[in-house]
Order: sequence, then structure tokens, then C-alpha cells
Amino acid sequence: MAGRVPPGSPDPAGPILAADHISLSRGGRTVLHDVTAGFQQGAVTAIVGPSGAGKTSLLRCFNRLEQPERGTVRLEGSDIRALDPTVLRRRVGMIFQTPVVFEGGVRANLAYGLEQSSDDDLAGALEAAGLPASFLDRAATALSVGQAQRVCIARALVRRPQVLLMDEPTSALDVDASRVVEALIARLGSSGLTVVLVTHDLAQARRLSRRALLLSAGEVVGEGSMDVIEAAWGAWPRT
Amino acid sequence: MGSMATDLTAIALSLLLVVVAIGISFRRKLHLEKELVVAATRAMVQLFILAALIRAVFASLGLTSLLLIVMLAAATFTSARRLVGVPGSTWVSGVSIAASSGFALIVLFALGIFEPEPRVIIPVAGILIGNTMTATSLAGARMRDELTRNLADIESRLALGVRLKIALAPYVRTATVNSLIPTIDATKNVGLVTLPGAFVGMMLGGASPVLAAQVQLIVLFMLLGAVSLAAMIATILVVRRYRTEGERIVVSESLPL
Repeated sequence: MAGRVPPGSPDPAGPILAADHISLSRGGRTVLHDVTAGFQQGAVTAIVGPSGAGKTSLLRCFNRLEQPERGTVRLEGSDIRALDPTVLRRRVGMIFQTPVVFEGGVRANLAYGLEQSSDDDLAGALEAAGLPASFLDRAATALSVGQAQRVCIARALVRRPQVLLMDEPTSALDVDASRVVEALIARLGSSGLTVVLVTHDLAQARRLSRRALLLSAGEVVGEGSMDVIEAAWGAWPRT
Repeated sequence: MGSMATDLTAIALSLLLVVVAIGISFRRKLHLEKELVVAATRAMVQLFILAALIRAVFASLGLTSLLLIVMLAAATFTSARRLVGVPGSTWVSGVSIAASSGFALIVLFALGIFEPEPRVIIPVAGILIGNTMTATSLAGARMRDELTRNLADIESRLALGVRLKIALAPYVRTATVNSLIPTIDATKNVGLVTLPGAFVGMMLGGASPVLAAQVQLIVLFMLLGAVSLAAMIATILVVRRYRTEGERIVVSESLPL
């Protein structure tokens, strides 16, 4: 394994989301060790690495589903601990590996927890997730896994997040559904949404992002362009 | 009731029914004869000892308090064993049973519904502690299972920016309803399907059916209140054992008290 690759040139505007020397352990085992990373606004940045590298744990620190013991996570320069967690989680949405839809219809799923929502807003989010407005009246349990994942993406988008965290969003999907969701991620990225994408698939990271973070055993071992990342880990399978 | 000798004769005669059971067991080769003899003997010995003890306890408020503590401790440890995996399960069970039973007892005695004397306190507290123990075990264990089995669902809700209380609401509801169904069904069907203990006991003791029904209604209503309270307290306490700062729950590790 190669040593740490120097980060690419800094964005003058600074990262919208940043991890500053964060460490996390679980059950006495170190999961993340002194991780520092920044994510640029309006870009899709991948977090890659082998299974058990700490990718998901790092992602969960960004919306406080995990609380690092040391270090700080900053959103637009401010410590996220200063934010109400519910406010933070609307600004930093999250898509999980396996889509979870709640009981009821798609409309109720999208509007879940919102004080008020119009059908126009909900239909707009569905369309942004590549689903027609007619899906609002569908039963959530009648969706395919791919459709359910897109409903989950729409459910996050309704909250108008600044950042969307995506944890292996295609790994539970078949090939066709994966392609649809990948195209959707690319569209979201080009629309100016900041996306942090966890994937174990370097080819997918290359298709969707220009920059990535390489994690191994809870530490950052590479950060920069996809070429840099591939070079950082020569043993990585090239697909 | 008649004299002691008559009562002993009645018990001896009622043992004929045990003999019938033993006969069926022998005839049908159920091999339950020994079990039936042991069960009947144990029941007689235990109840005679209990009767003797209670006669002593009824005469003393100190012994009454001691017995209540023993009952509460036994219920707490029994319930805590059902809450295995919940950090601080003994504390959860003890608080839930003591608070719900205690509240019902205070209401019953403060409002003068029952006389606060040992011969009333002990059976009423016994019914309350027994039923709140069951409700605590059912609600607490179901709450633990809901939290641990539905973590992905709960975190999906939290990630949408809702409060933990809102995210957990469907699971708290399931756990609470699940634990209350036996009591609600028993109350609904009283007199139709079941003739409950207080009613039967008073009737056998020679009380009028109307008085027996009155007392039974008081018992049922106090149980509805106490059991609901126990279920609510147990679910709240179990959630508190798993919740942590930042509107999230941690189920993989035990949290310190």
C-alpha cells in the first residue's frame, strides 16, 4: 500500500463539509483514526476503500449518527455539534445502502416529519429523483428496490439539503437499477448539490466523481483526483 | 364456612378429583401420576404455610412492609431476567413496577376505596405487583426488540431530521399496545369468558354477587391504570437506556448508568 498522497489544490472557497482530525472507536476497536478531509461544494466526492475501512462510519459522523470521540466535523466552517441534530440532518441528507420505505404511500413517505409540504414540492422531488408525479399515490410497499431507493432520494431532496451523503446507494440494486441511480447521482452533482458517495467500487467512483478519499483501516491513505487515488493503491482492481 | 374439621373433610373430598386425574394419567399412560401427587402435596403445604405466615403478617405493619419489599424484589428480578441485554435492566424493572404499583396503591388508599390495613394492602399490592411485573416484562422486552431489530428503519427516520421521540413513536406504540392487550382483553371479556379471581374468591367466601362484582370492578380498573402506567414507564426507561446525545440511539454497546 502506498503512503498518503498529498491533497489536491485547495478550493479558495473552502470545503462545505470537513472532518478535522476525527477519531472514532466502537467496542474498544478503533474505527476511524485522525481523519482529516474536506468536501467541495457542488461536487460529487467519493470515499473509497476496502470493506471495513471505516467509510460508512465516516459518513455517519457527518450527520451525527455517530459521534467521534475526538476531532470536529464542520459544515460551512461551523462545528456541527453547535447545530440542532434535526436541523443538521435536513441540511445534510443521507441515503442508505438498503432503501427503507415507511408504511403508507409514497406521498406520506416524502412528507414524513415535515411540518408542511405541498404536492408540488413532493412531485418536484420525485421528478428530481427520476420518478413521475403519479408515484405520489403508490403504496410504498409496492415499489421495486430500485424505485424504493429513488423514493428515498426524493425523500431526502424534499428537505432541500446542502449535502447528500450516499452510502453504497447502488449495492442493493440490480444492474439496470444501479445504472438509473448512477445517472441520477451524476445529475444531482451537476445540478450543484454536494454529494459524498461511499462506494467500494472504484469504477463507479471514477464514473461519478473527479475527486476521492481513500480510506484503509480507519485512516486516510489517499486524497485527490481519481488518478491519484488509483496510484495510491496499486493493488486496487482496475475495472 | 363451617368448622375446621368440616373444611379439612372438604379438602380431603376435593382431593378425589386429583385421584381422578391420577387415574386418567395411569389409564392413558401419561406418566403424570408422580407429578400430580407432588403438585397437590406442594400446593397444600405451601398454602398452609402461607396462611400461617399471613396470619402473623396481618398483625404487624412492620412485617407487612417487609413482605411488600420481598414481593417487589422478587418481581423486579423476575422481570429483569426478561429484559436481558437492556443495560441496567434491574433498575428499569424495579422503577417501572414500584412506580406503577405504588401510584395505584396510593390512589386506592388516599381516596378511601380500600382500607389501608395489612389484610387489604397485601392482596391488593400482590395483584398490582404481579400484573405490573408482566406488563413491564412484555413492554420492556418488546421495546428492546423493536429498537435492535429496526435500527435501519429508525436511523432512516432520524436521517430525515426528525426528533428521536418522533422516529421511535411507532415502535413505542407497538411495544405498549402489545403489553396491554392481555389486560384489555381480560377486562373486555370479564363475566363472558372469564370469572376473575377476586369475584370467584368473594363468592366462595360467602359474599353477595353484587358486592363481589363491585370489588372485581375496582380491581379491574386499578389494573388497567397500573398496567398502562407500567407499560409506559418501561418503554420510556428502555428507550432512555439506549438513547444518547445528538438525537440518536446506540444499541451495539451497553451504556453506563
